Amino acid sequence: MHPIRRQRLIAVIFVVVLATVAVGLVTYALRQNINLFYTPSQITAGEAPEGTRIRVGGMVVPGSVQRVPGSLETLFTVTDGAGEVKIAYTGILPDLFAENEAAVATGMMREDGTFGASEVLAKHDENYMPPEVADAMEKAMDKAHEARQ
Amino acid sequence: MARTRPIMPAWFHRLGSPKGFYSMTTPWLPWLAAASLVLLIGGAVWGLGFAPADAKQGNSFRIIYIHVPSAFLALAGYYVMAVAGAIGLIWRMKLSFVAMKAAAPLGAALTLISLVTGALWGKPTWGTYWVWDARITSMLVLFFLYLGVIALHYAYTNGEAAGKAAAVLALVGTANIPIIYKSVDWWYTLHQPATIKLTEAPSMHPSMFQPLLVMIAGFYCLYALVLILNIRAEILHRERGSHWVVELARSRRS
Amino acid sequence: MSAPDVVPTLATGRAFRALLVRDLTLAFRHRGEMANPLIFFVMVATLIPLGVTPESRQLAALAPGIIWVMALLASLLSAESLFLADYRDGTLEQLVLSPQPLWLMVLAKITVHWLVTGLPLTLLSPLLGIMLSLPAAGFGSLMVSLVLGTAALSMIGAIGAALTVAISRGGLLLSLIVMPLYMPVLIFGASAVQLAVDGMSPAGNLAVLGALLAFSCLLSPFATAGALRVSLHG
Repeated sequence: MHPIRRQRLIAVIFVVVLATVAVGLVTYALRQNINLFYTPSQITAGEAPEGTRIRVGGMVVPGSVQRVPGSLETLFTVTDGAGEVKIAYTGILPDLFAENEAAVATGMMREDGTFGASEVLAKHDENYMPPEVADAMEKAMDKAHEARQ
Repeated sequence: MARTRPIMPAWFHRLGSPKGFYSMTTPWLPWLAAASLVLLIGGAVWGLGFAPADAKQGNSFRIIYIHVPSAFLALAGYYVMAVAGAIGLIWRMKLSFVAMKAAAPLGAALTLISLVTGALWGKPTWGTYWVWDARITSMLVLFFLYLGVIALHYAYTNGEAAGKAAAVLALVGTANIPIIYKSVDWWYTLHQPATIKLTEAPSMHPSMFQPLLVMIAGFYCLYALVLILNIRAEILHRERGSHWVVELARSRRS
Repeated sequence: MSAPDVVPTLATGRAFRALLVRDLTLAFRHRGEMANPLIFFVMVATLIPLGVTPESRQLAALAPGIIWVMALLASLLSAESLFLADYRDGTLEQLVLSPQPLWLMVLAKITVHWLVTGLPLTLLSPLLGIMLSLPAAGFGSLMVSLVLGTAALSMIGAIGAALTVAISRGGLLLSLIVMPLYMPVLIFGASAVQLAVDGMSPAGNLAVLGALLAFSCLLSPFATAGALRVSLHG
């Protein structure tokens, strides 16, 4: 083969092989849970490891927030609709933390099944809307609830 | 060489010559200045004064009228810089290196603005100024990439080599941009997914979304204006010995 | 491709091997220089307990990140010398002018650079793991992540080294332009070790690290070759 063509062939093979390897590895990695984020239903199913730092996220269940009197400790439950996890946190909660809102907690699972959080962050959803619209939507939801009952 | 390719239209060659670019853009400037002034003032008054407050975040959400356009342009500006560098490397067009040099500090400034406004917004919303979240961190990396391109440019004493070297670095850096943009999908993190989706309807209420669009358009106009002014200044500096610049200076003085 | 009329007199594979052997021999003759990044690596590891705490539980928590950051800095320190000697004595000019594909020659030089810095750093890392009381579960992951990661760092560092080789006192500038590109490698490398320490599978992170290596292999030789041409001929 002509040396110049041979050089080009080497370059092409080099590029194709490496691109394939890169794509293959990325596809493999995407199938793993790479960021240690667990949903409450995964935790109730026992998929989360005990004694290691993980993150849990979900909606704060309405009426579940209890503040322990005389301390900064707060207990609340988060849900993803299928499972629930009780979270214990000592410290000041962010302003946006509220019932029926999403929150992400970092910490460890305790032996009694509660999640001991060392950090709680409020995650607001990606919908921006004025209060009137939010109210209207809430009413619509309530109506739908009543209709079902 | 660009001249041996008749496929390119005439304006391309005109843009390629520094003098042609200078005379071609002179009439654009007042229009761009007027457009950016009207859009920015209009969008700011609309967004800050008349758009309704967000149901959950209250008034603090209004910072997105600065944050989102500057973050948009910080990213787009990197592509402007990298594409200008690539054109320079492929067609050996000197002007594109000038454009690349002009785009670098502009992009760095916009990245800094989006980082600072994001931090100010994060405090009331997330309860902290800074979170080591994928997207914020990649924005910081983008800022460092801009700084690297600027620093490399200044380190070379030979102007043309400086342009080429910075172009290579900018192109290598573009490998990081898709990672920045996709990071939200890859990591489930604090930063909410992009509010404006190109494929779906925006998840923002129209009364809040419209002023944002006006602000984005205003930022684009301002970006174009400042970029062109930057390029013109650099052209005058590089061509300061040439006949037409001396003529220009003389005509201004009289 | 710059001179398609010139037919290479030496087979490409042979040229690659010759350069590999030459650079390895050179590195071996300058053993002192080769050892510098390694000594740096170990010495900074001594500073951490002195500066932070000798308490082993806290050190263990910091160890994966610290070892990785130091491996990164050691690799960065050695990147400057990748092309410098060849640039000063004119060898680099010969390589650029030779009819052999420059990117392959660059690949040979980067391979040698990794063999004399990244590989020894990896082999030395268990020692640092012991010094910083890294839990036993992390050692395997540490070495695998460092093998993949330092190779990627050598690849990325080469681009910066080629861009700054003609600049006097380019060392600091090199770190400035290369460090942002290093960050993804550091993130996945350190978290792979952390995962293993926490008793979880680091496979996903190691796979990403491998992908980063493959991607940098794909990009770096060509970018470095282009950068060398710019540095030498403007």
